[in-house]
Amino acid sequence: MLIAIIIFVIALLIPVLIYNSLVAKKNQVLNVFGTIDALLKKRYDLIPNLVATVKGYMQHERTLLTEVTEMRAKAISDRTSDDEKVELDNKVTKVLSRIMLVVENYPDLKASDNFMHLQRTLTELEEQISAARRAYNAAVTDYNNAVEMFPTSMVASMMNYKRRRFFEISEKERQVVDAGKSFTA
Amino acid sequence: MKTLDDLRQFYNTTLLADLNVLEAGRKAIVQKLTYVGAAVAILVAIGLFIMAQSGVPSFPGILFPLIIGAVLFVFIASLLSKGYVRKFKGTIIQKIVRFIDDDLRYTAHRYIPKSTFMTSEIFKTKPNRYKGDDYVSGKVGTTQIEFSELHAEYESGSGKNRSRRTVFKGLFFIADFNKHFTCKTIVLPDTAEKLFGGFGKMFQSWNVLRGQLIKLEDPEFEKFFVVYGSDQIQARYILSTSLMERIINFKRKTDRPIYLSFVGSRVFVAVSYTKNLFEPRLFRTILDFELVQEYFEDLQLAAGIVDDLNLNTRIWSKQ
Repeated sequence: MLIAIIIFVIALLIPVLIYNSLVAKKNQVLNVFGTIDALLKKRYDLIPNLVATVKGYMQHERTLLTEVTEMRAKAISDRTSDDEKVELDNKVTKVLSRIMLVVENYPDLKASDNFMHLQRTLTELEEQISAARRAYNAAVTDYNNAVEMFPTSMVASMMNYKRRRFFEISEKERQVVDAGKSFTA
Repeated sequence: MKTLDDLRQFYNTTLLADLNVLEAGRKAIVQKLTYVGAAVAILVAIGLFIMAQSGVPSFPGILFPLIIGAVLFVFIASLLSKGYVRKFKGTIIQKIVRFIDDDLRYTAHRYIPKSTFMTSEIFKTKPNRYKGDDYVSGKVGTTQIEFSELHAEYESGSGKNRSRRTVFKGLFFIADFNKHFTCKTIVLPDTAEKLFGGFGKMFQSWNVLRGQLIKLEDPEFEKFFVVYGSDQIQARYILSTSLMERIINFKRKTDRPIYLSFVGSRVFVAVSYTKNLFEPRLFRTILDFELVQEYFEDLQLAAGIVDDLNLNTRIWSKQ
């Protein structure tokens, strides 16, 4: 009789544990995604500062600056969808690195305290964003494994949990530390 | 970075003169010790003779005079060589440290305090026997470092049940890290995963004492290490892909168990050794380049961590 009760309790407990672990994994994914979002916002907040600092020096690259300002305005507006935002983020990353490259032509600007501070903050943010993306991918791997592997997959399909997509990490981001070369150059 | 050729030149021009003086001192001590050894041997023989006469059973009775003799000899030897060890460290090790980097300072009798050792959180067991020596501190480039040899043990039980186990023995290194962070991240050698594969990973994730298990995407890094931390994202911010690669290379270079932790904006590195580091030889000649090379390589290993982990790169807001 006692054994029957124990088996019954365990049989009841296992799905509960699986259910909870799945929810925890899903929340971990959402949580990290939120952090990425927050970090990207922080980066957008830097852009007006950057433009203001750089504007005085860069006469020939005005279009680059207006481009990045427009992108920022678009990204922080509520009407932009999530997919568009992701695309904008990638574009902003590219434009920012182009601006940083152009700065090489303006030694005065490069040496100014204001710009150096901005550059440091930006490198730090970029690396934090990359770290958050890696954390996101790790969380998604964990979640996807649970969704696809037996026996958690059974509970997951009942909860209607689906596989999630990874963040694409570009080759450039993998070597994000190399951004520091512009300091030594 | 100093090369072996630099060291050979330094050995011939500077160290050799000091080593010759020390070698004479060493020979004198060995001479004295042979007399002491002979005297102790005679005492032991007398002891054995008396025991045989008075009919004490030969085993284990025979062990007592032998053990007492050995302890007496070791005690006298350490007493006699104390000054020699101090002089050796004060000149030879001191000069090698300065040779590696002029900004480094060496103190033979100091060591990393126990509180700092515990702050690193690399080792959970609080040692109740804790000693060390050969403390080095200073700046390498822009990075403040310090390291020393440590031997931390935990002793439990009393009387016959007393047992002692080593918590850590080797080089303990601390440096200012080049990025800001507030979380704790601990990198330990991976034993469970090596033995049990995927199941090992599952056990690791249940290690609640250590905090969250951080699964990193570098398979080679994961093969060598297991990472625990209080923050998934900050841990990855610290352990960037390039730093992981650098840690793997450092592990290969040392070929010893290594432990790392990142706490309070500092990096702690513990490199396990079985031998006693930076101690002079007594019963063999010290006029030997290979001996000096060994001291140099062990010191260089610690001072080189700054370059190995690229700590002088200050491109983030922390300067």
